[in-house]
Amino acid sequence: MQGARQARKYRLQGAGLDLALPYLMLAPGLMIVLGVLIYPLWDGLRASTRAYRYGSPISDVGLQNYVRLWSDAQFLNSLWVTVKFVALSVSFEAVLGFALALFCLHEFRGIRLLRTVLIIPMVITPVVVAIVFRLIYASDAGMLTALSEAIGGGEAQILGNPLNAFIGLVVLDVWEWTPLMFLILLAGLQSLPHEPFEAARVDGAGAWRVFADLTFPMMRPVLAVAIVLRTIDAFGTFDQVFVLTRGGPGEATRLVSIYGYDTAFKFQQTGYAAALFVTIGLVVLALAFSAIRLLRRVDAS
Amino acid sequence: MSTRLARILTTIFVLAVVLLPIYWLVSTSLKANREITQEGTLYPHVPTLDNYVRLFTEKQFGSYLTNSLVVTFFSVAIALVVGAMGAYAIVRFRLPFATERKIGLFLLTLRIIPPVVILIPVYLLMLSLGLLDTWLGLIATYTAFNVTFCVWMMESFFREIPVDLEEAAMVDGDSRFGAFRRITLPLAAPGLAATAIFAVLVTFNEFLFALALTATPRAMTMPRGTATLIGRIDTDWASMSAAGVIGAMPIVFFALLVQRHLVRGLTMGAVK
Repeated sequence: MQGARQARKYRLQGAGLDLALPYLMLAPGLMIVLGVLIYPLWDGLRASTRAYRYGSPISDVGLQNYVRLWSDAQFLNSLWVTVKFVALSVSFEAVLGFALALFCLHEFRGIRLLRTVLIIPMVITPVVVAIVFRLIYASDAGMLTALSEAIGGGEAQILGNPLNAFIGLVVLDVWEWTPLMFLILLAGLQSLPHEPFEAARVDGAGAWRVFADLTFPMMRPVLAVAIVLRTIDAFGTFDQVFVLTRGGPGEATRLVSIYGYDTAFKFQQTGYAAALFVTIGLVVLALAFSAIRLLRRVDAS
Repeated sequence: MSTRLARILTTIFVLAVVLLPIYWLVSTSLKANREITQEGTLYPHVPTLDNYVRLFTEKQFGSYLTNSLVVTFFSVAIALVVGAMGAYAIVRFRLPFATERKIGLFLLTLRIIPPVVILIPVYLLMLSLGLLDTWLGLIATYTAFNVTFCVWMMESFFREIPVDLEEAAMVDGDSRFGAFRRITLPLAAPGLAATAIFAVLVTFNEFLFALALTATPRAMTMPRGTATLIGRIDTDWASMSAAGVIGAMPIVFFALLVQRHLVRGLTMGAVK
């Protein structure tokens, strides 16, 4: 077997131009990635150790930018807002998505329509999703105000109130991304083996027992993957907040991405903003790698 | 019987939650500004297409649309060609020190890093190259993002294609690259389509880099152009809602047409 594979490999690689072929095929992609991703990554690291004025570096400040982050109340607040936003949104999405996937597991009429319609929120341009929700929340033109006035109430105050605006943002994210959870979890449910469930039915186990002892434990790895994917993605949320609230009112919905953007392009603190973004990148990478390790352990057990 | 009723009610509820916000967007876009802010009607009493006409006559939406189409087309097309070749090399060749596998892993790691991390250096790079507010600047940026994605997606598709077919072609006198082009690539066409579709979706919708890298209708894309309509105090709801419809329509129709292929990309390969 090994010998045959060896022979096959030899024949495949041939001679002359064929020897260079793998490198020729890899080169264009690597060059683009090197120029537009790797170089900027390195340049970003370099920028994060400098102070800038009007977009050009004026002095090296070492790790000062990084140190400053942790005594910057606005940064710490934006980090806290982001963690709250991610934790709340992703939890709701996981629970609702799971419930919906369980609901759709059995074929019934209307399920195809449901699945088609559920694609819409996640493919609409995020900027437009934010416009949709501004149109719902707006105190003068909003759907909530129109509905409330139709039943004799007053204007709905959503985006002007810090707590309501934050909840409004979470609702937007749940509306946009629950369908993704649903799709992943439905595929997971459909790929579970049938035998344990049939055995449980023969034994006369109730629906709740089946869920708690079979479905949920077997779905744990898929659920973990879905949650990790969404968490990483939600951490970088920018477009929707930029259009919906621009981070306000006050700092109520100012996620780290928004604070970083403002630091760089509004306050022109290029080096400091670069340090902020590098920090976010490290947090997300750490999150991803610990999640992967966790998943491996779940798989092994 | 009661489970059937519960199913119907749940289905209707979910459909309403998803579709009502979209209904409100479309309905607002068909009203005049006075009807929107003063009368607060639940549906357009005097439907009008003025808001749409104004987008193209007064607000440059023609340019935004052109820019979006050009930038999306080129960045996806280049990334697809380059990415397919790279993925093929990673899957089929065994290089010294397992270099090809390391490159694959490296590109995957790059995908995990949120793009926002390189926002500032990419901005500085385009500034120094004089590529701010140009098609080329956006195309270069989006192509790079798409390449890592295309390589990673195409890898899994090439793995599913048996190597014997290429060998047969080479026994018949084809070169290695010829076998790739004439045998493997056509067989991977559905995979290429799925990859392209998802890349189009993400590229067309991208906002953050378009926000930082473009400033005038010369290069502004649809999402970027739409965001210019958002005032802080006085908002032109009529134009904004019409812009939302125009901005979302191409991509929603496109997505519904090809939804079968979408799921894999949306779920980062977690679902096939």
